[in-house]
Amino acid sequence: MELKNRLQNLKTSKTFGKYYGLMLLTLMAAFFFAVFKLLTPSNFGSADNLYFYLQSSIIYSVGACGLYFIVVMGLFDFSIGANVVLSSIVGVVLSKSLGYAGLLLGCILCGALIGFLNGFLYIKLNIPSMIVTVGLMLIFESVAYYAAGGIKQILDPALQAFGSAPGNILLSFAAFLLTYFLVKHTKIGTYCYAIGSNEYTAKNMGINVNKQKLMGFVLCHTFVGIMAILSVSYGTSMTATTGMTSMSRNFTPLMGTFFGLAFRKYGTPVPAIVIGEFIIAIIFNGFVALGAPTTVQNIVTGAALLAIVALTAHPEKGVIAK
Amino acid sequence: MADMILAAEGVDKSFGITHAVNHVSITFAKGEIRGLIGENGSGKSTFCSMLCGIHTLDGGRFLLDGKELKIHNQVEANRAGISIIVQEMGTLSGLTVADNIFLGNEDRFTRYGIKNTAAMNREAQRLLDEYGFTHIKASLMIDNFNFEDRKLIEIVKATYFKPQVIVIDETTTALSQYGREELYKIMEATRADGRTVIFISHDLAEVLAHTDTISVLRDGELIDTVPSAGSTEDELKRLMVGRELGSRYYRTDYGPPAKGDVVLSVKGLSVPGQIRDISFDLYRGEILGFGGLSECGMHEVGKAVFGASFDRQGTVALADGTPIDSIPDAIRHSIAYASKDRDNESLIVNDSIRSNIVLPSIDDLAEGGLLKKKRMNRFAQEHAGQMSVKMTGIDQFVSDLSGGNKQKVVLARWLGKASDILVLDSPTRGIDVKVKADIYALMSELRKMGKAIIMISEEIQELLGMCDRIFIMKNGSVNAQFSRSPELNEEDIIAKML
Repeated sequence: MELKNRLQNLKTSKTFGKYYGLMLLTLMAAFFFAVFKLLTPSNFGSADNLYFYLQSSIIYSVGACGLYFIVVMGLFDFSIGANVVLSSIVGVVLSKSLGYAGLLLGCILCGALIGFLNGFLYIKLNIPSMIVTVGLMLIFESVAYYAAGGIKQILDPALQAFGSAPGNILLSFAAFLLTYFLVKHTKIGTYCYAIGSNEYTAKNMGINVNKQKLMGFVLCHTFVGIMAILSVSYGTSMTATTGMTSMSRNFTPLMGTFFGLAFRKYGTPVPAIVIGEFIIAIIFNGFVALGAPTTVQNIVTGAALLAIVALTAHPEKGVIAK
Repeated sequence: MADMILAAEGVDKSFGITHAVNHVSITFAKGEIRGLIGENGSGKSTFCSMLCGIHTLDGGRFLLDGKELKIHNQVEANRAGISIIVQEMGTLSGLTVADNIFLGNEDRFTRYGIKNTAAMNREAQRLLDEYGFTHIKASLMIDNFNFEDRKLIEIVKATYFKPQVIVIDETTTALSQYGREELYKIMEATRADGRTVIFISHDLAEVLAHTDTISVLRDGELIDTVPSAGSTEDELKRLMVGRELGSRYYRTDYGPPAKGDVVLSVKGLSVPGQIRDISFDLYRGEILGFGGLSECGMHEVGKAVFGASFDRQGTVALADGTPIDSIPDAIRHSIAYASKDRDNESLIVNDSIRSNIVLPSIDDLAEGGLLKKKRMNRFAQEHAGQMSVKMTGIDQFVSDLSGGNKQKVVLARWLGKASDILVLDSPTRGIDVKVKADIYALMSELRKMGKAIIMISEEIQELLGMCDRIFIMKNGSVNAQFSRSPELNEEDIIAKML
């Protein structure tokens, strides 16, 4: 019992609490790495492989950082994938005439505009964010299709600096630092948490809840715009498709956000998002190395996510999760 | 007359068909503590909510120091010089103590959009230390603190900037004696400073002891304002209710307890960190009381008996040995439970009175697995009527009801279930004298019908007035046991609580 109490004190300690969370995440990453390394030592886990996993996971981590701003307020967004596609295409099209400026500004401004539209309609229509963003996802997919002229948009090889190191790592870490800064050192983070805790009380504290929600959507999709730069630079091209195909792009960033939420109590949401996405990349690539079919990969990835969040969140007994 | 600081002129507010505040005009002097009393639903909280910008006014106006107030939220009210400590939880989870204290006022620690968290924590800690709440660390998440500490943090939040008017809305029920004493000190310091306190409480003795004047509201109208010195509880009750209400609304019988059969046997009941080794038998036709300080563990006893505690050890069994290990077990065997935390643990506030009353009886009311609306309506109507719930109809949402009527809905639900054993935790918490009298009368009637009641209460008077036996708890264990007697008094009980 004494050991349990000491462990509890360590977890809730201001100084060591955040290290406790990071330690748990690192142990989890090491655990999954060891499992796949043992199962398939030749195909998995070399230094080059790890570097590859890191580069693919940081793309999703940037989107997850954006999603964090709205999920923590109790909102949701299904148009992340559609935004990645549309912003990438706008960025590629503009880069043809404006070079890097076109790519960067095209993706980021298009992302921010989509965020503004999502937030604005959510507030004005006063209907659940999930419904608003599903509707808008269909619209954005079609707009992307028209913007691309029905063809694959290829990024000029001379403009692919953010598709590999060090460009992708520098841009991603700038986004992580920005998230950390906004959450920790500005009113935005405090107000997002306050609205997520009790919107009514937050309103009574003079917080302009609608303005904060709009800001949350804009921030979310600005980060998704950055994710679009990384995605199209890494993949070198983007094809617009319709019929909700962009939906699958929502889930990997969302999983990272869940890690951030689960580890928020340790005061380390941003590192949790980044390491969490890295863990997902290890699991996913581990299965690829094993040659497992995609369906099995999805089942195990989904189950691993549920298990990790359930085991690490450790809600107080009797607390109702919604 | 002392200088006036605040005036309400014809203030008016309706919610649907309910005229909550009816053209109230009232003035408050500088440097006074004004009690504001009235039955549940009399308009006290609505009046103060309008003053603090939580609700908008339908008519009339407030004047602070002669200037009309135009405020839309609590932060604007604070800036104008008015603050409120609300009845329910007013702090936000997921934020630190310092974030909560300065929520909406971060600008003083923000430069070029960057918040200086260290400076904010330092200032919050300085304030907490100044108030004597040194055990609260400003940089920790507020979720690390219990309900009382969170109330103390709210007190700091509402008073540190020295507002001209402080509204304290039914806050003392959430505080232990220590917390109450701290609050009284702050009230007196505010008065000494020439500022004003509006103090709302259902505890009339407390109101008489700590105020200078008392205003009484009834059905949304101002009835009278009287000086506290020289007034009595009975006079105040008469003003509140509009008729004489006997001062003895408790049981008056003091004969030897008619011990019926044992209906529930509890042995070695423990919940780690909360209660230790509690054993007792509950008899048919008995009211068994549990009392003590707020954190003594008595509230957990109710939960544990009802099967709602986690990690419970020991046994709870009916007379025939049937174990009660879970909430479904308890309900199936005719045990009812009304929680102290009425809004969060007993009621579904965002649903109708009907839904709340029929909830545990839904299987009994269904036919062939299908719910019959007429039958449910009849059932809800009958039991709401039996409890005289003040409502527009059974379709009315529980969130619209006053505290007393909410409690009546809880009791109506268990009467409908025809429960034989009732565990009532703080059944009269935050409830006015008239509804209190109704609840005591119901308890007496149920007792006569042979029902057994466990009554958990922080009010010593009601334990003395209603219970056949009283267990006083301290630090999670039973410290003393008393039998009903006219000689038993508050001092005997307090001596065993502390």
